[in-house]
Amino acid sequence: MIHFERFKLSNGLTVIFHKEPSTPMAVVNLLYDVGARDENEEKTGFAHLFEHLMFGGSVNIPDFDGPLQAAGGESNAFTSNDITNYYDVLPAHNIDTALWLESDRMLSLAFTEKSLEVQRNVVIEEFKQRYLNQPYGDVWLELRPLAYSKHPYKWATIGKEIKHIEDAKMSDVKAFFKKHYHPSNCILCIIGNFELETIKEKVNRYFGSIPKGKKSARILPLEPTQTRFKSKTISRNVPADAFYYAFKMPERKHPGYYFADLLSDIMGREKVSKMYVDLIKKQKLVSEINAYITGSMDEGLFIITGKLNEGKTFDDLDKEIWKIIAHYQTNLITKKELEQIKIKLRTARAFQDQGLLNRAMNLSFFELLGDANGINEEQEIYQSIQAEDLLKFSKQLFAKKNAVLLKVKKKKNA
Amino acid sequence: MLNRQVAPPITPIESIEFAVPQVEEIKKGIPLYWKKDIANETSKIELHFHAGTTIKTPILASLTAGLLISGTKNKSAVQIQHALDAVGAYYDVSVSQEQAVVTIYALNQYLPKAFGIFEDALKNAIFPENEVAEICNERKEKLKVQLQKVNVLAQRKIQQLLFEATPYAQVIAQSDYASIRRSDLISFHKENYLNGLAKVFLVGDLTLDEMNQIKDACAQFATERGKPVDAEFSLKAQTFHEEKKDALQTAIRIGKIMFNKTHSDFISFSVLNTILGDYFGSRLMSNIREDKGYTYGIGSYLMENTHFGYFMIATEVAKEVREATIQEVKNEIERLQNELVPMEELALVKSYLLGQLLKAADGPYAMLDLFSGVELHGLPISFYNAYIKKVQEISPEEIREMARKHLDWKSLSIISIG
Repeated sequence: MIHFERFKLSNGLTVIFHKEPSTPMAVVNLLYDVGARDENEEKTGFAHLFEHLMFGGSVNIPDFDGPLQAAGGESNAFTSNDITNYYDVLPAHNIDTALWLESDRMLSLAFTEKSLEVQRNVVIEEFKQRYLNQPYGDVWLELRPLAYSKHPYKWATIGKEIKHIEDAKMSDVKAFFKKHYHPSNCILCIIGNFELETIKEKVNRYFGSIPKGKKSARILPLEPTQTRFKSKTISRNVPADAFYYAFKMPERKHPGYYFADLLSDIMGREKVSKMYVDLIKKQKLVSEINAYITGSMDEGLFIITGKLNEGKTFDDLDKEIWKIIAHYQTNLITKKELEQIKIKLRTARAFQDQGLLNRAMNLSFFELLGDANGINEEQEIYQSIQAEDLLKFSKQLFAKKNAVLLKVKKKKNA
Repeated sequence: MLNRQVAPPITPIESIEFAVPQVEEIKKGIPLYWKKDIANETSKIELHFHAGTTIKTPILASLTAGLLISGTKNKSAVQIQHALDAVGAYYDVSVSQEQAVVTIYALNQYLPKAFGIFEDALKNAIFPENEVAEICNERKEKLKVQLQKVNVLAQRKIQQLLFEATPYAQVIAQSDYASIRRSDLISFHKENYLNGLAKVFLVGDLTLDEMNQIKDACAQFATERGKPVDAEFSLKAQTFHEEKKDALQTAIRIGKIMFNKTHSDFISFSVLNTILGDYFGSRLMSNIREDKGYTYGIGSYLMENTHFGYFMIATEVAKEVREATIQEVKNEIERLQNELVPMEELALVKSYLLGQLLKAADGPYAMLDLFSGVELHGLPISFYNAYIKKVQEISPEEIREMARKHLDWKSLSIISIG
């Protein structure tokens, strides 16, 4: 059980405080309710580029990282299609430094041309390093638009193309800040060995005077219900043919989300899953196979992916994949297997809760979902899932018209 | 009224408390370290074997490690995995140059059982033909992917050059998978696992009986051995560039053989290394990423082995700025050799390093890792108190001295691929 306190400032900032007496460190985590799904289709990659700019100095403080490092701390951030999350970890007795820095960049950025120019280049190099200069690196740039036709999940967090990042202008940056970076669009979570009253006083001192912004309604294009199976083949300089089956799955708040998550754990289990045993051990069709979910807020994707062994074809594989899927649609998962997965989840969760930063991120994320206490309720949801739930769910999830398939074909001369 | 332009006061870290785990003797010279006061139900056991890539060949070390729980006369790989899953345990094995480490994570009530499953699998491993074929196929395919990445190619190349003509230079090649024989794996397993346990780290709120049972079971694998043979390195600086037509970026590695914690310059050099390239505000990051935008990231590292260490600068940059980047690295190193580090920057780095050490000592798992870092070199935990003291005292002159003594540009090998 993770105990926490919640309070709200008059400017709309939500604060979650979790007291942890055993640590000399403090975690300050800020989740901003903005991600790549909030971008304009002509200006993608912006939420992430913006995350870089948040380290380029704020209105009263020219350098973000320097003072934090001088206080013995460090900081980082990540952007997803749904959220942008910033965190600082530092010795607890210097927590004021983190609150001072974070509140100033929530108040306003420095908006220097130099920072924009440099971070554009840095992000372009990141684009190359992670998405273009790696075998299979551009898979998600291809798979997203195949799976989504309208919803902004059709582009990746890094952006649709490098050009969008090259074209980013200062006026865009300022407008983005004004719209998304203000107290009512943020959840602040603090962990450390403090008293609640101390935290209230500090948070009020640093964040209390930041003007209230307007939380804008999120009206995203609805993804139309998929009505037919789609597939696409791309040819790349890769060492082996790879396949990505993507099935549309329920959004984060839907009970089906938990079914999908558990089902992906069962189907993707290493060494022992039916997919592993049938396709790797018995038929020697693939060299690796996996299943996982994207875990997104809105309608997400359930992925089955792997690489073909040399001499095997996509058609050979396709038959077998649908056979395995049919198995899960007609057979109950055994009690034994379900118990194994559930106890593994318990272990994983216990280890995750060990980490302070993990706890802070999870508390913030559950608060965004509606209630930070979700962190204490989630295990119960997983533990209560029955084989019948998964059987019923598989029938809907794995309908062929609900799927897309991306094939990455090895170039002949590669 | 809050004056936002004034930074809040900062309190420096004066001291940190370090704790050693309980020490048990599995056999003479083979310790089991136990951290038992855990406030939650997590637990883990780490078994260190003399089974790294330099013991014989990397392919043997890597495949044997990958097949430790792949089947016995009575149980298949799938059955063993099911047994581990039934107690909710996670199993992991990693191989480095000098050792192989098996780690099992579980809830404390299940750890003894999970360990028992592993013990039986290890003791009776038979390396079934089909499992050997399967892992060879999987690893061969994965290696093909790795060998398309410029950072992997550059890392392999600098390893080959720095450690030339020693076992540390060996890397796995595609062709190795074709020549592997099951009998080689069996003898490697016998020599380096059944008779190769070097030490054990245990974390978790177990009973004394449970710990003792694990300890007793470990004894069958424990054999005292000397340290790895000290390799002789040529220390000749080399340069190498390979053009890759399709690459969008060039991977750069700049490095040399260096020392480990046992050397009297280690702590001072670590401070220099941090200033140069080992934190977000480092000279290399500030110049090459934050000022010029040449890269997504650049860093410098000091890696340690039993008898030596090595220093490495690593980055991937836009193809057209390869030479400019190498020149800037040279400039930054020379600046550290010719100019004194400003007091403000040095104070920041000192504070940062001590904050990071406080974090590295936070919690039982972290503390045991810190302990492991000195135990490997036969140093006492008080090394960290000496570290704090040295970091607090070090002067700009000493930093400059370290840069002059250890980072002569002509002593560094430079690799670029892409």
